Amino acid sequence: MDRRQFILSGIALGAASSLGLGVLSWQQSRQPHNDNLDLVLSALLPALLYGALPQDATLAAAEISRTKTAVFDFMPFLPQRQQQELHQLFNLLAGRVTQLALTGHITALAQLSISQRLQLLNQWRDSYLGLLQQAYHGLRELLYGAYYGQSEHWQALAYTAPRFR
Amino acid sequence: MTTNHLDASQFTHNRQFEADIVIIGSGAGGGIAAEQLAQAGFKVLLLEEGAYYTRDDFVMQERWAYPNLYQEGAARKTRDQAIGILQGRTVGGSTTVNWTTSIRTPKATLSYWNSEFGINFSGDNDLAAYFAMAELRLNIQQWQVAPNANNAKLQQGCEALGWQHTVISRNVNGCANLGYCGMGCPINAKQSMLVSTIPSAMALGATLISRISVRQLHWQGDSITGLEAVPVDQHFQPRTDLRIRIKAKHYIVAAGAIGSPALLLRSGVPNPSGRLGKHTYLHPSVISGALFDTPINGHSGAPQSIYSDQFVWPADNSKPGYKLEVPPLHPVLMATKLIGSGGQHAALMQQFNHLQATIALLRDGFHPHSQGGTVLLDSAQQPLLDYPISDYLWQGMRSALLSMAELQFAAGAKQVLPIHHDAKLYSSWPEAKAAILQLSMEKLRQTVVSAHVMGGCNMSTSPTKGVVNQNGRHHQLQNLSVFDGSILPTSLGANPQLTIYALVWRNCRLLIDELKAG
Repeated sequence: MDRRQFILSGIALGAASSLGLGVLSWQQSRQPHNDNLDLVLSALLPALLYGALPQDATLAAAEISRTKTAVFDFMPFLPQRQQQELHQLFNLLAGRVTQLALTGHITALAQLSISQRLQLLNQWRDSYLGLLQQAYHGLRELLYGAYYGQSEHWQALAYTAPRFR
Repeated sequence: MTTNHLDASQFTHNRQFEADIVIIGSGAGGGIAAEQLAQAGFKVLLLEEGAYYTRDDFVMQERWAYPNLYQEGAARKTRDQAIGILQGRTVGGSTTVNWTTSIRTPKATLSYWNSEFGINFSGDNDLAAYFAMAELRLNIQQWQVAPNANNAKLQQGCEALGWQHTVISRNVNGCANLGYCGMGCPINAKQSMLVSTIPSAMALGATLISRISVRQLHWQGDSITGLEAVPVDQHFQPRTDLRIRIKAKHYIVAAGAIGSPALLLRSGVPNPSGRLGKHTYLHPSVISGALFDTPINGHSGAPQSIYSDQFVWPADNSKPGYKLEVPPLHPVLMATKLIGSGGQHAALMQQFNHLQATIALLRDGFHPHSQGGTVLLDSAQQPLLDYPISDYLWQGMRSALLSMAELQFAAGAKQVLPIHHDAKLYSSWPEAKAAILQLSMEKLRQTVVSAHVMGGCNMSTSPTKGVVNQNGRHHQLQNLSVFDGSILPTSLGANPQLTIYALVWRNCRLLIDELKAG
């Protein structure tokens, strides 16, 4: 366990024990759980992409769904160690116990308003904990890369990729 | 694909190969070496961790190019995540995805190597003939087409301020000025290793094995005795179910300045200088965005055609020098580097076609407070670069942000946005200057990127001060050469491909003479 895993596990364990819920296994929390990934992306994407997603709810849902697929497809290309860290973050954010420590909210991520979710991301960016800063930048790059990699999302950019053949 | 190509991911059982020369890595170093050694009549085996993609695969889309052509999906980061690193991982290495800028090694860099590492590239060792041969081989010529608007703004800013600037030489032949060099050239105009030396070596009998990851060199006494490799899976992760063993008379490591030290560290080769995997340089770079009234369309046209060396060799040696260039602007590259989130980010993205970007590449490795990074191995034995950024470099980055903002306003920018997470759009040079002077220069607030990885197996005449000698030969293991950017003892202060071509060409000549005499 390196320092980063240690801190993240520490946050999880601290949150768990302070609530009297026993010890969470950090080993387990580094395993991929696609439900957790899906849940966290569903909560964060509408915030991060606020202003970029279409007003129409059906169109916006399609763009979010396409972005999630792109995240799923891209993650296996990252080094194993980075994949594990991301999964750990997603699992912690999805967990009802640990999200309190990470978000300061007892409410589930999905119940927060868009502006509360953005505020949360900004708190991570400005946190004194290097780990939360890294989480902010890692998620931001992963999610923006996944969204703007899709040609269907370029209308607002007035950009079309050249069709060469 | 020709019959001289094997895709290791298709192997169904353990394999063994033998050759005169095995080359690990097919980028600027491995590519030149493959052709030289095949021409000299040696049986060459060229190994590449990436896939053998060619122009028909290059669809000019970042979502395909980054995961398939770059190390770690183009999301490679230093250990503390503070620096993003763009590095190729495909047949042709970074030459398949670079922006074609070709610059001879600056004379000041060569003279620094001479004074600090005893490396002498003058007189009989002059590199001029090798630069000329590489330029001829790869059609490196000054770009004759007018720069795109992104580069033109760099030129106009320099002209307005009286700053030095140069039209860039590019390794292209029949370039259609598309602007998608970073995703693989779809018309084979870029004279990367993929379309030049590698097919030539294969035509001469060299065998290319793609999707293979070399895990370890075995050595005994003063010799490498063999190597062990595995196929990679569809996501380029090393597999554990099959083994590939290779024996050769001579071993050339050319896996790049992160990959080569990592392989030698995994192999536990002798390292009396203690410098293996140390002193890795990045040309750490900072970015300044600028909004113009007129369209910039930074995605279109040769990505780099102008540079400025106004600040690369400051008279005051206590300050880091930096080279000014521009990057191409594509949706993913721009979205991931722009600051902010939510509506603020979306509003900036809507200015996509009006955004100009300038980059400043810091010349690292020339000062006691700029000694580079260290290649480490993670628990999966994969490389991880630790690169602490010193205050000396942070102050250089602040100066670079100032220079770029001044330049962009001089070129007519309406607003300038230093890519720093505390910055915002500034509407005048005095406003930008005052704000940049107040920015807190620290990791993960100041965005830092790199597209040039150098060092980690540095050359030195003395075995106490380097991993290889001036000819790229390992100081302790007689049949091991390192032929790539990892042998550079400092960064260059210039884009590295032409330096690597010339050095490796020269080192191949010397190696061939010795092998033939032996």
